[in-house]
Amino acid sequence: MTEEEKRSLIQKIKENLSDFIYGMASHEATRQALKTRGSMEHLFILITMGDLLGVPILPPYYSLRLLPYVVPQISTWKRRMLREKDLVDALA
Amino acid sequence: MAFWTLLITIVIVILGYRYYTNRVDQQIVAADPKRATPAKMYNDGVDFMPASGSVLFGYQFKSIAALGPIVGPITAVQWGWLPAVLWLIVGVFFIGWVQDYASAMMAMRNDGMTMGGLAYKYISPRARGILLSFLYFYLLLIMGAFGAVVAGLLAAPTVPIGFLILTLAGVLAGQMTYRWRMDLVMTTVVTVLIALVGIWLGTMPWAQSIVKAINGMAGNAEGVLYSTPYGPMKWSVWFWGIIALVFTYFGSVLPIWRFAQPVNYVSFWFVMLGIVGSILGVIIATFTGATGVSFEIPAYIAFNNHLGPLWPILFVTISCGAISGWHSLVSTSGTARQLEKETDAKPVTAGAMYTEAVLAVLAVVFAATAIAKADGSVLYDAANGYKLSVGAGGIWIYGMARFLSVVGIPADLGGAIGGIFLAVMALTVMQLVLRFMRVASAELLGDKIIAFKNPHVGSLVAIAFTLLILWTAFWQRIWVLFGGANQLFAGLALLLVTIWLANEGKKYEWVFWPGVFMYVTTVAALLITAWKSFSAAFAPDTAAAFMVGNLIAGLIGLFLAIAALILAWDGWKSLSTARSKMAAAPSGD
Amino acid sequence: MSLAKVFRENPNRRYIMFGGKGGLGKTTFSAATAYWLAKQGKRVLVFSVDPQASLSDIFKQDIYGKGAVEIMPNLYAQEIDADQHIREYQDQIRKKILDMYGFDKIPDEIESYIQAASAEPAMEESAIFDQVVDIVVAGEFDYYIYDLVPLGHALYYLSMASVYDQWISKITKLREEMREYEQMAARLSRKSELQEDEILRELQDIRYRISTSSSILTDREKTAFFFVLVPEEMILIDTQNAASLFRKYDVPLSGYIVNRVIPDELIAKGNIPPYLRNRHAMQKKYLQKIDELFGKDVLARVEEMERDIAGLSMIEKMAQAMFGEETL
Repeated sequence: MTEEEKRSLIQKIKENLSDFIYGMASHEATRQALKTRGSMEHLFILITMGDLLGVPILPPYYSLRLLPYVVPQISTWKRRMLREKDLVDALA
Repeated sequence: MAFWTLLITIVIVILGYRYYTNRVDQQIVAADPKRATPAKMYNDGVDFMPASGSVLFGYQFKSIAALGPIVGPITAVQWGWLPAVLWLIVGVFFIGWVQDYASAMMAMRNDGMTMGGLAYKYISPRARGILLSFLYFYLLLIMGAFGAVVAGLLAAPTVPIGFLILTLAGVLAGQMTYRWRMDLVMTTVVTVLIALVGIWLGTMPWAQSIVKAINGMAGNAEGVLYSTPYGPMKWSVWFWGIIALVFTYFGSVLPIWRFAQPVNYVSFWFVMLGIVGSILGVIIATFTGATGVSFEIPAYIAFNNHLGPLWPILFVTISCGAISGWHSLVSTSGTARQLEKETDAKPVTAGAMYTEAVLAVLAVVFAATAIAKADGSVLYDAANGYKLSVGAGGIWIYGMARFLSVVGIPADLGGAIGGIFLAVMALTVMQLVLRFMRVASAELLGDKIIAFKNPHVGSLVAIAFTLLILWTAFWQRIWVLFGGANQLFAGLALLLVTIWLANEGKKYEWVFWPGVFMYVTTVAALLITAWKSFSAAFAPDTAAAFMVGNLIAGLIGLFLAIAALILAWDGWKSLSTARSKMAAAPSGD
Repeated sequence: MSLAKVFRENPNRRYIMFGGKGGLGKTTFSAATAYWLAKQGKRVLVFSVDPQASLSDIFKQDIYGKGAVEIMPNLYAQEIDADQHIREYQDQIRKKILDMYGFDKIPDEIESYIQAASAEPAMEESAIFDQVVDIVVAGEFDYYIYDLVPLGHALYYLSMASVYDQWISKITKLREEMREYEQMAARLSRKSELQEDEILRELQDIRYRISTSSSILTDREKTAFFFVLVPEEMILIDTQNAASLFRKYDVPLSGYIVNRVIPDELIAKGNIPPYLRNRHAMQKKYLQKIDELFGKDVLARVEEMERDIAGLSMIEKMAQAMFGEETL
């Protein structure tokens, strides 16, 4: 094993270990924060792109301006709105 | 001997992971690193979010390792240490990781569906409803079993003040990260230090005298409120049970980042320090003889003890270390929706499970290497068939104090660390469970009874049930019931996985037989415990309070067993359908 | 008080509007005022946001959808083609989506949303007012004369502006809260800098545009709003109602201009049909009433012209009628 390989191995172990510790210590909290943010994002899409449900809330002229930014979320948003919710979801 | 037991466990665990688990992962389930996982496909920033394997390994381990791998083995040592160790090793090897891993794979290959949806899809429409009501009682048993342990721990004079300061440090951590936006490392160092100092302060004579004063406020001279056939109900346990539930209540109704999350965060670091310190202690003690590390409890005591026969009761007493239904909940609802590669499932789920088994064997070591304290007071009553004479928490506290003393921590402080260690581990899960019960009652009953839509009502009802159990039932029996429900839930998960595999045309025997074993064992254990509870309730000299507790325990046990049998019946029908389909289709392999 | 004096005494009032029911001569007044100002060396843009705009007719030049067209030195006129503007705007959005995500074509779902949004009736109004903002914010002219869409539309827009504003502050708050959670997550996972929230920036810009366009109508310092009316009963009643509505929305009224007054000299000549005589008498009555109601806020009485106003020479004549010989 060359010096170089050794160093990269040590680097890798360090990274994995810190990932592991992060996973135990605060991944859940991070996920909660992102989840909260994510559901707010969906609320946001609902109220800005509400026309999709026939509820014009923002002038359509301006909701078009926001459209480019939410393009990637629209399909997951729709999917999540339509997905059958299971009680067990609350545990996750 | 203790050290070698641990070492052998580790070797077997590595072999199991390296060969058996690998083979299943590659050849039967055929995890494919290129296949898009739900986390990737549906990344919606809410339910589905990808995370790296090493992060998820930590997440999974933290989510599955709670009180189970500690209290279960300590209680099970009453049959002797060898059966406990054997069940842990064999259980995790053939059943434990199988459930955790396979349920995660099943959820991933089913668009990230959770247990309820999977039961509906693979078993029958009514299976979902049965599963959910099963879940509610299962969680109630967790509350009761864990709550009893925490109440006992808090009653120890060295524990409550330190615990209180740790909680406050947690609240401070929340304030520092979320409101004051301070750096996480800084926050961690400051709050964990405060918690440690607080735990130390809690062992000071003045702090102990405060707690002793509280503990002496009611009951007779010994603080006993009423006596039961299983021992006295002390005012202190009665009171601290309420405090534990108040804590859980905050965790359930306050914004999650205000209380539950930061308190758990600080607790986590504290628990890590405790584990590292104890393992170091075991290793040092083995080679220096600083404290006893040879087993003082016989390898095998007797087939029958006061809890019941070794089979099936031991198999449900040790719940999490060998196999646990809780894990399938974590695997399906949490982890399966975050795995970014199918091939990460093996290290994350099976890896975490094997690691937990090692932790459980460590608990056996703690328990079996001391039957009496240095001061002569008895932990396991050798004259009486090695019956546990203090709470499981007491054993753990003493064990941890002993091994921490090897690394230079005074006995009182070591004991406080052990007590708070267990308490926070239990409370972390209890907060999550109560939150879930609250949501569940809002969902299930909110339409009929408006009041349940209020988060306080749902939480308080669950707390009232828990208190009823705490105050009137025999905790070891509740523990066995909890273990039974937990293992039975694992059996259900295995049943689901079997049907899924059969539908996919894959080999399923490696899941089917463990599932059958778990089913038969747990239903038997539940029925035995229910019968024991009923006979205690209707014994001529039973006090009213005790009758209530035993009746509740018996009814829950009976309900769970019946629900499981219905699910098994429906499951068997689905499995037969899947198998006949499989037979009809041209064989693939 | 004269019309010219209002301009003289309020040099900051650079957004000029003539409002009133359709067909009372708003466009004529706009053009004449622009002419009067331009003649005195001010750079003036007169523009129309009315889909049935008549600036082209009045200047005898097709300027529809051609941007600001120079009519004479310092005088520019513009007729906004709302449909064209909306089409261009849609294309911008499409291009942005294609650029941002490297798509070859707009996903069907998104395309149908763009189409549906553009078919909304509110689309046109917002588009028009948004373009007004562009024109005004560019700041190339000393005076902007705004040939307003019929009053109802303006008031509707004004009333919606405050609703929109509230909505946007709510949405902005939501975005900010989301940002908070994102930062929370970043701190917990020890990730470095976050990307800027483009949506938040857009929202702030949208808010700015909506408040700018509505403030153009309501800013007492910068806006001069003149009501055009004729001495007729129905018009008088309408004007009173409109004026009270305007007060409600805080549109500052600079005064009233009475149009189509039949000259007294004409009647004095004698030999006129009784029909005209009667009308004159009727007008007298209402003119008196107008004076009673609005007093010194009546800034000018413009007599009925003998023919349609079109072409610069007629416009000059009209300016004369409105401002007399007065200058800024």
